[in-house]
Amino acid sequence: MVAFTFLDWFWLAAFIVLMVGSGVLFYRLGKRSEADFFLAGRGLPWWLPASSVYATHTATDTPMWVTGVVYKHGLAGLWYTFFSAWCAISAFVSTRIFRRSLAYTQAEWQTLRFSGLPSHLLRGWMAGWQVFMNMFILGWVGIAMGKICHYVFDWPTWVGLVFFSAVCAIYVLAAGYWGVVMADFQQGIIAFIVILIVSVWGVVAAGGPAAIIQRLTEMGQADRLNPFAFTGWFSGDFPIAWFLTMFVIAVIGGFGMGTSIDWYAEAQRIQSARTVKDASWCIWSGTALVLMRNAVWGVAILGFFVLYPNIADVKDYELGWFRLGFENLPAGMIGFFFAAIVAIHISTISTHLNLGAVYMTRDLYHHYIHPKASQDRLVWVGRIATFMLLLGSFVFGSIMENITEWLIFALWLMAAGVWLPNILQVVWWRFNGWAYLAAWISNLVFSWLVVWVLPAFGVIPSLQDYEQFWILMVLGAFIYIPVTFLTKPENMEHLVKYYVMSRPIGWWGPVKREAIQMGLL
Amino acid sequence: MALIRREWKAKEADEWTREDWFAIILSPLAYVALMVGTALSMLLLPVGFVILGAGIGLTLLLVWVINPKLSTISTEYEKKQKDYIQQLEKITEWEATE
Repeated sequence: MVAFTFLDWFWLAAFIVLMVGSGVLFYRLGKRSEADFFLAGRGLPWWLPASSVYATHTATDTPMWVTGVVYKHGLAGLWYTFFSAWCAISAFVSTRIFRRSLAYTQAEWQTLRFSGLPSHLLRGWMAGWQVFMNMFILGWVGIAMGKICHYVFDWPTWVGLVFFSAVCAIYVLAAGYWGVVMADFQQGIIAFIVILIVSVWGVVAAGGPAAIIQRLTEMGQADRLNPFAFTGWFSGDFPIAWFLTMFVIAVIGGFGMGTSIDWYAEAQRIQSARTVKDASWCIWSGTALVLMRNAVWGVAILGFFVLYPNIADVKDYELGWFRLGFENLPAGMIGFFFAAIVAIHISTISTHLNLGAVYMTRDLYHHYIHPKASQDRLVWVGRIATFMLLLGSFVFGSIMENITEWLIFALWLMAAGVWLPNILQVVWWRFNGWAYLAAWISNLVFSWLVVWVLPAFGVIPSLQDYEQFWILMVLGAFIYIPVTFLTKPENMEHLVKYYVMSRPIGWWGPVKREAIQMGLL
Repeated sequence: MALIRREWKAKEADEWTREDWFAIILSPLAYVALMVGTALSMLLLPVGFVILGAGIGLTLLLVWVINPKLSTISTEYEKKQKDYIQQLEKITEWEATE
């Protein structure tokens, strides 16, 4: 438990008022239309959604995760966080294509890229899946806040889960995405400054950079200073094969849409940018900040390792960065630090509340239940959806300890077997809706078999995660490639419309020729 | 003809050209250099400052290569965007085919 002075409580109260107030201020803009409530009217300059990208991906569980991998592997552990580099290529390829489609969501994009029954099955599936995933992420991040509040105040974990998510919901319900992005801007600044202060403070507490290097060398742990310290090609717990797999998944994944779970949140930021150029730079620069922030954390954790080198239990050392702050900052600054943690927390919560609500409102309610709904009604449905997500997140958060393993598996489903189809749907005209649907279904079956069933019965050994990735990718291809060629191509007129609007990269020759023949290019 | 084109006409900017591929290669390299350079610079290692400097240099080069093209694409696309949005709403309300 950490002792708070009056000044600490002042910081916390002031920050909460500032954060909630800055969101609520945009109430009038948020309620104007569905496009305002979910995309801020598609009019934001690049730096606003960029700050939202940064703030959203700075969650309460992020420093725990970065601490966990760097404490275990040294600076090489930073590569675990390099998955966000999918934005490197995406910013100039899939972001550009998606922004030109103008789809509110990835689910809506399915009906622009594909046609007929499979496109609607995909839109419904993806919308339902995203409502579930956002509820799950809200619960996951919320319970991390519960644990921190338990550490700081000795509160029961549900108090931290419920209280701060509920505070955040005030401005998301009032102003929708306008509130989210405006609050994210100042939360991002607060978070960045405090991360820098606490990390530098931690390095100084460990004796400074030179002392950290000297101490690690004396301990025989100098490898921890090398970001490229691998344990062999295939052996050890940090092989080059893993690194290469990660690099391919992350970087080449940028050609596709949905190759990372973060795509779905980024897609909203892409559409809220006022131009294609703003969309590209918002994604690129927000992610660059994320990667540099991870590096700052990484060095602070080296300092933590020097101070506390023999912690065996991950549950103990994953709180390392928080401990650097709470144990070293002077009285009066602790509240400032905790207020920044609250900023970090609610910037992520606000994003996922609004993101889950857009799928529920735009893709399920507006398109399938009430296509002629007024703008006023759609904004209210958005608010009801936001509230439902909030309640759902409390349920998920309260049972998270028991279901984490299953839900990590659910996250894995998003990545492995549909990784290549997520790229093919962008770059290859012949890849059709049936094939993409087949990829999702086959991935569901194969991932269960490869990850759970076959190892349990001893048919195959338990595999490393990067081995599972390649196997699932190949197995899925045996299904969706034949399905592609055994079913008809998408309607050419539909493809031409999509092509002219989005101008995708890759193998689109027949569609382009048709568009030229029709006088559209 | 210059290796990197800096003046674009709308129709040409819509095509995927070598400037896009330069950006596709430069961008991940810049990310790697920025992340590794930041970490090693915080440890006050000289190599860290060199790598971080390279990351900043790659970022500036990336902007120089791709920004003119993105500007042209954006200007041209904005003229059509209003019509496209109307079409999107018609699709959502089942008044037009997808």
